[in-house]
Amino acid sequence: MKLSRRQFCMTGLAWAGAAPLLATGPASAQQLKGGILRVAVLSELANFDPQQLSTVNFHVIKNLYDSLIEYTPEGKPQPSLATEWKIAPDKTSVSLTLRDGVTFHSGAPFKSDSVLATLQKGADPKRGKNVFSTMSIVKDWSAPDERTVVINFKAPAPERQILDLLQFLIPIEAKGIDTVETVPAGTGPYTLVSRAVGQGLVLKANPKYWREKQPIAQDLVFTVFSEDAAATAALESGAVDIVYNGSSRSAVRLKGAGYQVFAGPGPLVQVFRINSTRGPFRNKSFRQAFNHLMDRASILRVGYAGMGKVVALPWAPASPAFDDNYTKTYAYDLEKAKKLITASGLSADEMKGWKLLVNGSDEASVAISQIVQGSLQKVGVPIDLDMRQGAEYVTALLGGDFAATFGAVGNVQKFPSRVTTNSIYRTSGNPILKDPHPHPDYVAAIARVDAAAGGETEVKAAYDNLNRVMVEDAFGIPTNSYDVGLIVASEKIGGITLDIDNLFVARTIGFK
Amino acid sequence: MTEALAAVRNLLRRLLARRGPALSLAFLALVALTATFAGLLPLDPLAQSIADSLKPPSAEAWFGTDELGRDILARVVYGARTSLVTAFGAVLIAALIGVPVGLVAGFYGDWRDSLLMRCIDVLLALPNILFAMALIAVLGRSQGAALIAVGIAGIPGFARIARAQVMALRQLDFVMAVRSFGGGPGYIMVRTLLPNILSPLVVQAIVLASIAILLEAALAFLGVGVPPPTPSWGEMLRTGKSYLYEAPTYAVLPGLVLTLTILSFDTIGRALTAILDRDETDASGATIGGRR
Repeated sequence: MKLSRRQFCMTGLAWAGAAPLLATGPASAQQLKGGILRVAVLSELANFDPQQLSTVNFHVIKNLYDSLIEYTPEGKPQPSLATEWKIAPDKTSVSLTLRDGVTFHSGAPFKSDSVLATLQKGADPKRGKNVFSTMSIVKDWSAPDERTVVINFKAPAPERQILDLLQFLIPIEAKGIDTVETVPAGTGPYTLVSRAVGQGLVLKANPKYWREKQPIAQDLVFTVFSEDAAATAALESGAVDIVYNGSSRSAVRLKGAGYQVFAGPGPLVQVFRINSTRGPFRNKSFRQAFNHLMDRASILRVGYAGMGKVVALPWAPASPAFDDNYTKTYAYDLEKAKKLITASGLSADEMKGWKLLVNGSDEASVAISQIVQGSLQKVGVPIDLDMRQGAEYVTALLGGDFAATFGAVGNVQKFPSRVTTNSIYRTSGNPILKDPHPHPDYVAAIARVDAAAGGETEVKAAYDNLNRVMVEDAFGIPTNSYDVGLIVASEKIGGITLDIDNLFVARTIGFK
Repeated sequence: MTEALAAVRNLLRRLLARRGPALSLAFLALVALTATFAGLLPLDPLAQSIADSLKPPSAEAWFGTDELGRDILARVVYGARTSLVTAFGAVLIAALIGVPVGLVAGFYGDWRDSLLMRCIDVLLALPNILFAMALIAVLGRSQGAALIAVGIAGIPGFARIARAQVMALRQLDFVMAVRSFGGGPGYIMVRTLLPNILSPLVVQAIVLASIAILLEAALAFLGVGVPPPTPSWGEMLRTGKSYLYEAPTYAVLPGLVLTLTILSFDTIGRALTAILDRDETDASGATIGGRR
């Protein structure tokens, strides 16, 4: 789409005015200058494999790699390395046209062989990592020519699910696929210069990048800070230009001090995870009481400085299954909670004797767990907190060694069944609830969503059914969404682009 | 034992004659009394009021409120219980194990001395904080675990002081006299030697109490101390540091109380050491450890 000069100017002005407030879209690239962009991050990346996506490498993936397609912050698909995608009328395959004139950092041209190699890796249970579960709908794939790839599905797949797959697929150069953990092998706007483990990372602009006039900044320097306060102090002293993925509390404070704060459309949802195979949690009515025991407003305020939204379902507002009515219906109400506890028929002794597992390394989790502990005390269920640190907590969380705990879930803004990538919501091989799944209604509801490839009515009915089953089975009690990948930038920075997954996109960022 | 009590009373009187130790004693007495009788005060350290979170000091909440709207003063007062219980418990454990070890090692001075002191050397070789964290990893996070960890870390101090004192006393006339009257090793160690080494052990107890309070706070600060919502000064420091911009009193006031408490213990310990050193200098060659 071409813009007239008037349209261009009006658009630029609109972005300039709205960006800091609405946190959307980049400023006009023409207004921005290049230079060295210095970014403070709070975590050391694990490796360069884009299929091992986690918050610790959110700051590098979209700078070293491109995905097949991208989403706008509103969730609309946009071309990236795939210029076109045609979903077959029966929704059993998708044909991709690959972009011409793109090269990998090694200088090799981007062709279909690399997409095939990437699909092969993603479908491998050992090498596919985070992508593997998303590949479960894929039957096989082929490359009729160098610029075309066809992916076939096991059954008709909903369009949104197909698009999520394409957005999640990040082509890796075929010959670099075995060494991608240590040597990045992408087509992204920046190339790796050096990495000092525990200290930081230096990238430089890819001179052969396919997007016109991008990246804007010539050099990109990431510095790892172990303390949020140290990172914000570096920003305030001018030692860095941006803090990425800092705390909500710091972001609120810095926003008040005049810094720009950008929150992406891909939040996490905090979920009170219940092990429904243990003790009083086998009782459905007792579990349902927790829908009303969550003081969501207080949890959001104390844990996340009010940045986010209270929710009773594990969806972000951008999710097609999002339904705000549930938040009102299942609001904090101790009287309703007491009635459900009474209806459970459990004795006082039966309701006690369990501990709330807490991630002691996460201040927000410690605070919000105490809020729940206080609510339980008020309804006559006194419990203790089981504080565990770091790896010890993660082992207990992922191994299901807990009665109840808070844990965030991701992929909450995409196709609803993507929620099953989170351990508590897995429909098979669930490490907490084990097999056979104790909530067959939930498993059936997810299957119905996956099979709803028909009209809007059918799809909505499937989503409504899933939402109803989730609150009734009550083995996961969502409390609030919160921002991950928050960007706090000095006023001289412009051109922030928000990614659907809140990954850090540096290519459009420059200096005003 | 009456003689020993009289010596302690004498020490107390001489401490109170100095301004620094007297102020320190007064402060510690205030902390101990408020901690002991906290239940009688209109303070609830657990009552949450999220709407009132992170409020500055006011007439309603003298020290302000924390992130959950709890009264920081109430948590400081009840946090003193955690610190003092840990300190006294740790001193008790360290003394009950360390003093007998030192008595036996010092009295016999043979292979038993070598064996026991090598065990003490092993304990000494382990950094206190690492040892405590390892023990808590095994026992789980609780006040009891912190208390035991700090107590075990304090054993070497008592053992070495007791051993050194006993070695200095065991050949003196009053001990030989008891032995010539048929006193057995157990009688001599407990009834003859122990009362005469009490003063340096009291000093060591005071020093260890301050170390124990600091170590308990350090463990809580590192996230392995007493689990919340039980108030703990170290836990308050740990959480409060995240709110330094919004509520500086949250971390500063518990930190100040912690600092003053440790400073008070330390001041008293130093004063006692000075008094005992002067006694030794003033005394004749046969009088050691306050015995005249």
